[in-house]
Amino acid sequence: MAETTKMSRKDKKALKERMKHLKSGKLERRYARMGYIFMIPWFIGAAVFLAYPLGSSFWYALNNIRITPLGRIFSFVGQGNFTQILIQDPDFMIYLVDYLTSTIISTPIIVVFALIIAMMLNMKIKGKGFFRLIFFLPVIIVSGPILGMLTAEGAGSISAIDTQSLTSAISSVLPDIIAKPISDVFNNMITTLWYSGVQILIFLSGLQKIDKSMYEAAKIDGGSAWECFWKITLPNLKSMILLNTIYTIVFISNNSENPIIVLIEESMFSGTKEKGYGYASAMAWLYSVVVLILVGLFALLLATRKDQYEKQVKRAIKARKKEARNKKKIERRNRRNAKKIERQRAAGKITTHTTDRSDY
Amino acid sequence: MKGRKINPKRFEIGQLKIILLILPLVIFMGMPIIFIINHAFKPMEELFAFPPTFFVKNATLENFSKLIKFSDSSGIPLSRYLFNSLVVTVITVGLALLLTTMSAFALAKIKFKGRNALTHINQIAIMFVSTAVLIPRYLVICKLGLIDNLLAHILPLVAMPVALFLVKQFVEQVPDSLLEAAYMDGATDLDIYLKVIMPMIRPAVATAAILVFQQVWTNMETSSYFFSDDSMKTLTFYMNTLVNVNNTVAGQGMAAAASLIMFLPNLILFIILQNKVMNTMANSGIK
Repeated sequence: MAETTKMSRKDKKALKERMKHLKSGKLERRYARMGYIFMIPWFIGAAVFLAYPLGSSFWYALNNIRITPLGRIFSFVGQGNFTQILIQDPDFMIYLVDYLTSTIISTPIIVVFALIIAMMLNMKIKGKGFFRLIFFLPVIIVSGPILGMLTAEGAGSISAIDTQSLTSAISSVLPDIIAKPISDVFNNMITTLWYSGVQILIFLSGLQKIDKSMYEAAKIDGGSAWECFWKITLPNLKSMILLNTIYTIVFISNNSENPIIVLIEESMFSGTKEKGYGYASAMAWLYSVVVLILVGLFALLLATRKDQYEKQVKRAIKARKKEARNKKKIERRNRRNAKKIERQRAAGKITTHTTDRSDY
Repeated sequence: MKGRKINPKRFEIGQLKIILLILPLVIFMGMPIIFIINHAFKPMEELFAFPPTFFVKNATLENFSKLIKFSDSSGIPLSRYLFNSLVVTVITVGLALLLTTMSAFALAKIKFKGRNALTHINQIAIMFVSTAVLIPRYLVICKLGLIDNLLAHILPLVAMPVALFLVKQFVEQVPDSLLEAAYMDGATDLDIYLKVIMPMIRPAVATAAILVFQQVWTNMETSSYFFSDDSMKTLTFYMNTLVNVNNTVAGQGMAAAASLIMFLPNLILFIILQNKVMNTMANSGIK
C-alpha cells in the first residue's frame, strides 16, 4: 500500500489503465470460489423449491388455469386476473385495508413489548428459565386450532381493560376509519402479545451479545440506567429491531389464520370458471407486493437513521473535499491569470520594468 | 470460557420489583399452556360444559386411552407415524441448520459476485405466501419422482429463508478483525466457519433450531399434498385427521389429548435449547 501512494501520477494512470484489462487476481478468485462453495447447497435447495415455484407462479398468475382430468388447460389472460381481483372481488380490498391498518398498529406494539420483556428477562432474577419458557411457548400454540377455542372463551382480551369505554373514547377523538382498527387491536391485546415469543428470543440473544464492560464504563462515567438504555442498549440492538420488525410483519401476514390467506386458499381450490389456480396466484402476488412495500416502509424508517459518529465522519469528509476543490479552483485561476499576463506581456501591452542582474 | 450462569443462586429483595412486573404478564402468557394441559385431562361432560370451564375438576386419562384404542383399530400403528415424524424432523433440522449457517457465513463475510442478488432473492422469498407456491412445488416433486418418498417431507423445508435471514444478521455482527486474525494464523475458510463463526453465533443457531423445528413439526402441507400412501405421513397429519374426521362429540376428547401430545416435544426441545441461547461467549477474544 505504501508503495502505491509514493508512485508518481503517471505511473498511477498507467496502472489504472492496466487494471481495466486485468481480471481479478488468483487469490481473490479463490476467495470468491469459497463463497460459491458455501452457497451452493442452499442455492440448489432455494432454486428448486423457492425460486422456480415463485417464477412459475408468476406465469400462472397471467393465465386462467382449469384443471381437468386430461391435464391443466392454460389460457393466457395477461393482466386479466389482476384487474378482476382489484375491481370485481368483493372481499380482497376490504381484507387488505383491514390487514394493513391492523399490521401497522400491532407491529410496533409487539416489537416494543418483546423488547421490554427481553430486557426484564435479561436481568438477574430467580426462575428466569421458567419465565422465558412461559413467554416463548404461546407461539407454538397460537399457530394451531386452539387459538379459536381460547378466543371463544374470551381469553383473547385483557378483561382488566374496559374495552367498551376505551373504544368509545377513541372513536370520539378520531375518525371512524382509524378508531376501529385501534380498538380491534386492544380487543385482541392478549392474542397480539402471544405472537411475540420468537421476537423475545431474538432480542434476548442480541442482548447477550452486548459487552457488559460497556455498561460498567458508562456507570463509572455517571450514566443512569435510562441513559444506558438509550445510548448503549438501543444502538446495539438496532439490527435486531429491524430483524424483529420484519419477522413480525411476515409472521402476521403469512399466518394461516389471516383472512387473506384463507381467501387465497379458497379461490385456489374453487371450481368456478374465472377463479382457480391462476386467480389465486395473481392474488398471492398482489398480496406479496403489498407486504413487501409494508416491510420496505418499516425498514426505511428503521435503517436510514445513521450513527452520530458516522454522520460526523461524513461531514468531515465532505468538508475536506470542498476544501480540496477550492484549492484546485484557486490554483487553476492562478495559472490562468499567469498565462494571461504572459500573453499580454508578449503582445507588449504590459511593460514591466525589468532589470538585468548583470547590472549589479 | 465458562458461560454465565442464568439464575442467580439466591432470591434477593432487589429482584422483587422485576418479578412483580413480570408476574401479571406471565399469567396472561401462560394461559394457553395451562388451557391445553387442562383440556387434555377433562372428562366428557366438562369438555362440553357451558359456560366452558378453564380448569379441570375431575381429571381423567380417559382421552388418552381412547386415543390409543382408536389408533390400534386403524390399520397403521401410531408408532409408524411417530417414526416418520422423528426421522423427518431430525434430518430436516440438521440439514437446514447446516445449510443456513454455511450460506449465512458466505453471504455475510465472503465477497463474491451475486452476493447482493442472492440476499435480495432470499428477502423476497420470505415475504411470499407459501400456499401460493404449493402447486409448482407439487410439480417439482412429481418431476423429481419423490411422491410417497420421505424426502418429499424434507427437501421443501430445508432452504428456509427466515432462518437464513436471522442467522445472517448475527454473522454480520462477528467482527471482521477476528476473522482477519484467523486468516493471518493460516486458517482456511472451513476452519473459520467451524472454529470462529459457529461458536460465536451459537445463540442464533439455537434460535433458528427452535424455529425450524416448530415449522417442521407442525407442517401438514407436505403430508396432505405430496403423499398418497398413508404409512408415509407424519404424526401431525394423523393427529389433525383425528380432529377433523372425528369431528363428533367423541372426537373432541381425543383431539384435546392429541394436541397435548403434539405440544410436548416443543416444550422439551425449548427447555434443552434455551440455555444455549443464553450461554454465549459474548465478544470473547476481542479487546
